[in-house]
Amino acid sequence: MRNFFKKRAASLKEFGSAVKNGDIWVKLSLLIMGMGYFGRKQILKGILMILLEVGVIASFVSVFLPYMSKLSTLGTVQREMIFDPLTMSETVNDYDNSLLILLYGIIGILIIIAFIALYIGNIKAVYRLQEMKKNGEHINSFKEDLMSFKNDKFHITLLTIPAIGVIIINVIPILFMICIAFTNYDETHQPPAYLFTWVGIKNFVRLFTNSQTLTFGYTFVRVLAWTLIWAILATATTFIGGILLAQFINHEHTMAKGLWRTLFVITIGIPQFVTLLLVGKMFGDYGIVNTICENVGILDFFKHIGLLKQSAGYIPFLSQPGWAHVTIILVNIWVGVPYQMLVATGILMNIPSDQIESAKIDGATKFQTFWKITMPYVLFITGPSLIQSVIQNINNFNVIYLLTHTYKTTNMALANSNANEVDLLITWLFRLTNEYSNFKMASVIGIITFLISAALSLLTFSRMIGGDKEEVYR
Amino acid sequence: MKKTSKIVARHIFLALLAFIWLIPIIWLVVTTFSAQKGINTNHFFPEHWTLANYHQLFFEPDSAANFPAWFKNSMIIGVCCCIISSLFVIMTAYAFSFLRFKGRKQLMSFSLILGMFPGVLSMIAIYFVLKLIGLTDSLLGLIVVYSGASGLGYLILKGFFDTIPVSLHEAAKLEGASEATIFSRIVVPLSKPMIVYTVINSFLNPWMDFVMARLMIKSKDPSQWTMAIGLFNLLQRALINQYFAYFCCGGLMVALPIAILFIVMQKFYVEGVTGGAVKG
Repeated sequence: MRNFFKKRAASLKEFGSAVKNGDIWVKLSLLIMGMGYFGRKQILKGILMILLEVGVIASFVSVFLPYMSKLSTLGTVQREMIFDPLTMSETVNDYDNSLLILLYGIIGILIIIAFIALYIGNIKAVYRLQEMKKNGEHINSFKEDLMSFKNDKFHITLLTIPAIGVIIINVIPILFMICIAFTNYDETHQPPAYLFTWVGIKNFVRLFTNSQTLTFGYTFVRVLAWTLIWAILATATTFIGGILLAQFINHEHTMAKGLWRTLFVITIGIPQFVTLLLVGKMFGDYGIVNTICENVGILDFFKHIGLLKQSAGYIPFLSQPGWAHVTIILVNIWVGVPYQMLVATGILMNIPSDQIESAKIDGATKFQTFWKITMPYVLFITGPSLIQSVIQNINNFNVIYLLTHTYKTTNMALANSNANEVDLLITWLFRLTNEYSNFKMASVIGIITFLISAALSLLTFSRMIGGDKEEVYR
Repeated sequence: MKKTSKIVARHIFLALLAFIWLIPIIWLVVTTFSAQKGINTNHFFPEHWTLANYHQLFFEPDSAANFPAWFKNSMIIGVCCCIISSLFVIMTAYAFSFLRFKGRKQLMSFSLILGMFPGVLSMIAIYFVLKLIGLTDSLLGLIVVYSGASGLGYLILKGFFDTIPVSLHEAAKLEGASEATIFSRIVVPLSKPMIVYTVINSFLNPWMDFVMARLMIKSKDPSQWTMAIGLFNLLQRALINQYFAYFCCGGLMVALPIAILFIVMQKFYVEGVTGGAVKG
């Protein structure tokens, strides 16, 4: 961070000296950005620069400025129908749309930042041209400038379009949602009919409070706890299951290894929205699994050992807390193990065989070799990706939502804040936005989820890459 | 003797596991032939077998189910995204792996941080942005959404590029090749397996996605839906008794191309997955 500011300061200083020592052309480009290039006979480049400057300023003044001026209030004029005596009809007044104000405001700010950077860079470039001319160096023609995008500026050619995509699809939306977390944008404040405005950190306070009418605090703790338990269990079970399966298939006595692998891989090949919906139906209250369980007496057995009430007509695999949690984890094993098996297969093939050989000679049992040699090796290799997969599981929308989208909670406190027992933070967020239009709380939850993921990632980098463990297996 | 029985036991165990893993798939396949249109809760195998569901799937689109249109929509999105995302990923990975320029490290850390935001969070805002440009409920909008930010997924490919010797790069440069030539003539041919993996993934992401399509497509007209939305909709309480077999047929048709692709490309896929794991 400090480094960043130091660099900015240095850049400003350079800008200052460029202005001070620059000749008339440099000083002219303070006002008209292309002038410096005209002075060095780079006419085309100069024209392009002027066009760019005019375009940015024109679009900024005409499109963004009206919105940005209202950014501090997010609009004050509510939409109304006014009777127009001239035309004898109802018309809509000139209302403010908070959503557009915020969106255009953010884009406007980004444009200002980009433009300032371009402006400073331009002055510096023009000054460099002046120096080059003074020293009698060769100044590129327009054609040579274009050619440089194939060589020393090739990274600009490669990165510009992907970067613009990332800014539009990723950066702007994220900034926007972060801002939403500090407003009161919910179902009663929906543009265009209504306005929303800044409320400070009220929503964050709300997430941690718990009262008769407001149960977000209660819900949040429960959802967070289940999210973490789920993420760790889901990662651990599929990881261990995957390694064991890979080990089992890779064993010297197993025949037709490729065939076995393929059988398991088939399940990855089918999209989750098909398999998970299907499995969800199989485990439904009156689904096929329940029928089979009843026929072979598992239902009665569960009643007998007290897991179910005597009056229960079915096993609530996906419709009661507890049961649903276990089913979800089991189904996730079914989903995740083949994938982990593929990963583990690749790693196990590369395991240094000399270590295992020597362990064998020293008289280690198979079990010992597995826990003392194979596992540490695999853990070392996959450690970082393991934490990554915990993060992925925190954000594992598909498994939870597709299995439990029909789940109805009986817990009023949870229902009050639109969550249920099997919701992860991410599915809660989705429900809040898609079904209840509660955007402010959804954004708060999103920010919290980000903080958790970011903290976990930092852990990965300091634990696995920092320290001097990188060389252990070299 | 003891050894043979052990080997037999091992294979029986594997067969059992594989069977458990395949039960839902088998159910999916047999239900496509079921004469009963709704969900059969009493029997695993259908009581009467028929091919009528497939006929309905391909030739009888109605007001709730329009598989040919869904397939077409998903295919258009998949192919377009595949081309755009693959290009973006390859370009980004190449720039970060081979080129040294100002701000490279910062850009990379920035992209890592961006990747930590939950996707669902930004989706809502993406919806607003698209609405602003007027691209919701259109294939073009979905293509933009799926492929726009794909440059962020460069890590695995970059990990692979990092293993290509620098000397190769330098030698080419001494011969007078421009960066663009090195990129297209040396690096791309050298990393074919990894690029195949990238391309497959770029196709499968939109093809298998559910959330984004669900948020972006609000249209009530089935002919504008993608496969995921259409099939999900068929399992609604009001429709499931008429369309469950149809759903299974559709599901199988979605899966078939991927399953084939997967089995053929398994080797590449393993390389891709583990390549990423090693580099972290």
